[in-house]
Order: sequence, then C-alpha cells, then structure tokens
Amino acid sequence: MQILTQLVFSGIALGMIYAVIAFGYQLTFATSDTLNFGQGDALMLGALVGLSLVGWGVNYWLMIPLVCLFGALQGAVVERIGVRPAIQIKSEFGWIMSTIALGIIFKNVAENVWGRDDLKFPSPLPEAPLKFLGANVLPMELLVIVGAVGLMLAVELFNRRSIYGKAVVATFNDREAAKLMGINTGLVITFSYALSSLTAAFAGVLIAPLTLTGATMGAVLGLKAFAVAIIGGLTSGMGIIVGGVILGVAETTTGFYLSTGYKDVPGLVLLLIVLAVKPAGLFGKTAIKKV
Amino acid sequence: MTTFTALRAPLTALALASAAAFALAADPIKIGVSGPFTGGSSSMGVSMRDGVRLAAEEINKAGGVLGRPIQLVERDDEAKNERGVQIAQELINKEKVAATVGFINTGVALASQRFYQDAKIPVMNNVATGSLVTHQFDSQPENYIFRNAAHDSIQAPMIVEEAITRRGFKKVAILADSTNYGQLGREDLEKALALKGIKAVAVEKFNIKDVDMTPQLLKAKEAGAEAVLTYGIGPELAQIANGMTKLGWKVPMVGSWTLSMANFIDNAGPGGEGARMPQTFIQEPTTPKRQSFIISYLKTFNPKNARIDSPVSAAQGYDSVYLLAAAIKQAASTDGPKIKAALEDLKAPVDGVVTTYTKPFSKTDHEAITVNIPVFGEVKGQRVVYAYEGDFKKASEVRVKDANAKGALTVAPKK
Repeated sequence: MQILTQLVFSGIALGMIYAVIAFGYQLTFATSDTLNFGQGDALMLGALVGLSLVGWGVNYWLMIPLVCLFGALQGAVVERIGVRPAIQIKSEFGWIMSTIALGIIFKNVAENVWGRDDLKFPSPLPEAPLKFLGANVLPMELLVIVGAVGLMLAVELFNRRSIYGKAVVATFNDREAAKLMGINTGLVITFSYALSSLTAAFAGVLIAPLTLTGATMGAVLGLKAFAVAIIGGLTSGMGIIVGGVILGVAETTTGFYLSTGYKDVPGLVLLLIVLAVKPAGLFGKTAIKKV
Repeated sequence: MTTFTALRAPLTALALASAAAFALAADPIKIGVSGPFTGGSSSMGVSMRDGVRLAAEEINKAGGVLGRPIQLVERDDEAKNERGVQIAQELINKEKVAATVGFINTGVALASQRFYQDAKIPVMNNVATGSLVTHQFDSQPENYIFRNAAHDSIQAPMIVEEAITRRGFKKVAILADSTNYGQLGREDLEKALALKGIKAVAVEKFNIKDVDMTPQLLKAKEAGAEAVLTYGIGPELAQIANGMTKLGWKVPMVGSWTLSMANFIDNAGPGGEGARMPQTFIQEPTTPKRQSFIISYLKTFNPKNARIDSPVSAAQGYDSVYLLAAAIKQAASTDGPKIKAALEDLKAPVDGVVTTYTKPFSKTDHEAITVNIPVFGEVKGQRVVYAYEGDFKKASEVRVKDANAKGALTVAPKK
C-alpha cells in the first residue's frame, strides 16, 4: 500500500509538471485554433532566465514575476512573427512550421548563451523529503502542484469573470462575430500567446529544481505535455489536470508493476485510444465546424 | 644541367639552415578529433578535446612529428550515431586525416568506425568503453581500431569486485540507461555478477532525460538491494541520486566511470557523495608527469573551481595523441597501414599521464588498459578522490599494462 501511495504521489507530481505545460497549449488553442509547438522551449527559456537571475543574486520568489514578464514578451514575439502571418493568409499549417522553427531557434540561442550542459537549479525549499501518508514527498513537488493549480485557477477566473477574459472566450467561440462586436481579436490572440508562454516560463522555474535545467530540457517535456493536452482535451482546463495526472501515474505505476522499459507505453496507448474513441479528449467539447 | 647542379648546393644549405622554421611551414599531419562537445556527454567530450589540444600543442612546440606539425580537425558528433558517420566520411574523404582520436559514445564509435576500417585509417578510441569497440572487426585480417580507455569488460568486473567482495553486499540492483552504452554495460555487469554466483535483485532501465526515477528505485528498494550498480551518464545518474534522497532511501552507488562526470557531481549535490567508480586517472599530482599535465591543463583551459570536468577523458585524450605521435614517428610515414603496424609494435615506451605505455598493443590485442591499471575513485567534497588510502599512497608507482592480469571478462568476437 505504501508503495502504491508513493507511486501515486510521484505520478501526480510528475503529471502536474506535464499539466502545467499542457495548459499553455490549451490557452492558445482556445483563441486561435493554433498551438505553440515551441512550448517546451518557452519553458526552457523561462527556467534558464530564472537561473541566471538567481545567479545574479535575485531572490527566487522575486525572480518569478520577472520570468513571467519575460515569458509574456517571448510569447508575444512568437505570435507576431510566427503565427499572425499564417492566420492572416488563412494558412492551415503555416503556424505549425513557424512555431517549430522558432522553438529550434530559441533552443540554439539558449545553447549559445547557457551552453548545452544540464545545470543545477538551486532549490528555494529544503530538499529533505516530507512524510505524508507513509510516502515521501519533496516540498518542491508540493510547490509544483500548488503553483500549477493556482495558475490555472487564476487564468480560468480571469477568463470567466473579467471583461478581458470574456473577450478571450468570445474570440474562441466565434472569431468573426467577436470581431464584428468590436473586439480586437488580433490583440486577443497575441495576448493568449503571451499568456501561454508566461505559463510555460512559470512552469519552467517551478519545475527546474526538480528536473535539471538545460537547453534540451524542453523537448521531452513539451512532447509529453502535448500528449496530456490530447488526452485531457484541448478545450478543457479540468481535462488538462486530469490528463496530466493520468499520464504521470500511468508512467510510475507501469514502471514499477510492469517494467521500467515500458513505462512510456501505456500513456501513449491511452493517447491512441482517446484519439480513436473521443477525439476531442476526455473532457473536450466536440466542436462542430461549419463549413 | 650544370646550372641546376650549381644551384642545388646553396639551396640545400638554405633548407638546412632554416629547418626549424621550415618544420612549421611543412605540410601538417592532420588528426581528426570526433566527440560530443555539446549535450549530456559534453563534459567528457570537451575534457577529451582539451587533453588532445594540450598534447598536440606540446608536440608542435617541440618541433612536431617527422618535422611536421600536428593539425587537429575537431568535429562535434553531438553523441549522435548519424552525425558520427557523417563526420567520419568528411574526415576521411575531404580532410584526409592520417588518424582519428576520440569517440566518447560507444554507439557513435560502433557506427563510425567501419569507414575508417575500410579506408585503412587508424582510430584511437580514447573514451568510449563498450567492450565491442575494438572487437568489431575481429573477423577481418587487419584491425584499425585501438583503444586507450578502460573498457567495460574491465569496468564491470571491477564494479562487482568492489561491491560484492570488498564491501560485502549480497543484494545489488542494476540501473542502466536505455542507450547502447547502458545496455551493453548492464550485460557485462550481469555476466560479472554471475561469475560470483550472484544475480541482481532488480534490473531496471531508464531513458535519457527522464526526470523521475521513483519506480526504478522503489523496485530496487523493495527487492532489498543494499547497493545500486549504475551504467548511465551524468544527468540521469544525478536524478538517481536525487531520487534516493527523495525516497529517504540511501544505499551506496557503485557504477561505471561516468559517476565521475562533473554534471553528475554538480547536479546530485550531497546525494552524490560517496559514489564510487573505476578511474584510470584521478586529478592528483602523484607523478611528475601527472603534475605537469594538471598544471598546464588548468593554466590553459581554466576550468571552474580548478576541477577538470572529466579528468579521465582529459588524461586519456592527452595520451591518445602521444601514442599516435609515437607510432607515426616510428613508421616515418602517415600511411594508415604503416601507422597501424607501428602501433602494434611500439618500440619505445610512451610516457603518458595514465600509465607508461610499454608495448601497449599487439597484433591481436588493441587495448592499452588492462584490469590492473584503474583504481577506485570516490566523490567527496564535490571532487573525485582516491577511494582507498592505500591506492593513493602507492599512486606514484605507475601501474603498467599486464596482459595476464586476471579479472576481465572475455569478449566474444563478433560474428
């Protein structure tokens, strides 16, 4: 039993790492039907910028808003350079290539600035584990869970309660109609990209003390998060959390009960099943596209 | 005709007079350097390259080889097999190197070497440890692949000897990464354990870039492992150490030499202390040669905290160039088959950092390092030090190759 609790806890912690990255995919999809495939790289940039700031003597907690600001700027740049031209010419696939390309550029820049070795991110919390229901949890893992859920709640609240958030939702529901109602949809889309990279950068500094920090840290995490976004549904914040936890727990339990050689398999099988049975994701609403 | 002969004498005189200056202008001898200078194994690749550079610089200062300077052609293989293959083809066909040193990753070595073998150009593997590396072409009459690193058939039994015999652990778990390196190493560990009549209580796998090692470690813990034997590279090894801290389960880590990598030591922090691994070289000035090597390395490359990122790679990189230079000198040629023949029958001993190489290779034995040469290192205070006081005290007596030394696994030739 104790083993299972430990596996579930570790799985949840791992799943929340995936979820908070996947959340960024959902944000841009919600407004523009596009995804930032450079999400993993936005995460990596956030973590590395955070590492540099901490290295210059900035306090960890003080550094977080600065990194968020950096992330927002980076996201806006991605949208302006990579996505907007594609949306304007109504290209179905242009943005895929351009966000991937920008991601690679960011990775190369990071390699030149920070090198390609994995670096240690100093933990702001004690590194000794806490006992909880007979299992060990790192304080940092709790922070990731709290931070991820907090961030998602904040964004959801913003979308539902504030007038600006309503503009975002309106843009998602019908871009043309929203435009006619006087909403600057272009700005809303830029904003959603800024918000998405902000969450990625935030996720980066949140998880960096647990994973290692380096120019290549985003690749695998970005991909896993993408699977989470598909499983949970690209239109549901709740789905992202559930999807993340499912994938995380599936990985740790398969690793233990089946074989560590196959630990990535069940998550991906689940992905295939979801795509076959419920393509919009476990919690996604099936969108009816009028042609 | 007469004018020609008349001109000849003064010309020869001129040539002799400016021989020293001429040597620099002479056609350089190109030596390829292939290794990962970026990515997860870069601490090994860069240290190796720096060791190679240091040796080449010293040789050139002393007048070069055969009066010709050594020119290094360095290429980053990014630890990727396909990059290694491209680089091999470029170095052979375009750069026309006389020989190549390098290869950190066993997979890259195995993928790239066949091109050198076909082109009859010698390769000196100075870091890659996979047992198969020098035996890939056993079935062919001539083998152009040499090595001056402690191969896995030495390392695996050493690890087992340390864990089982010296420290008396009865139950051990094996954690290895899913690359060629990790899986070939795991096989060697299992073989070495079997020779002691022991079976690992858990054999687990992990991927490069895995951030969570909980399942692997829990399995080892549940099986009652008293020690964890590892085969992987720095960043993931650090995650194992961090995972142990998290689970509050701390057993000794004994593993392949990669536990000495800077990115393991730095990322694991206190969790990595006490990890032990076989080392051909530990950054301690135990002989005059080692002292001068360490001083010039630190002076030239100025690594962080005066700690060479991967001392073993640096030392072996350095020695690999001296071995090749000695062979080229003896062969008096940069012709591949002649260099190879000279390597297999080196007349003069080569004074290296790791050891003094007296007849390091023969026609059938292309391994310069035997099981009696490496010692055990231990991570202590964020550096690698001698694990045993006795080894440290006797370190000034250079351990030389002993082809009859017992303990290595035998490598089955590749069919």
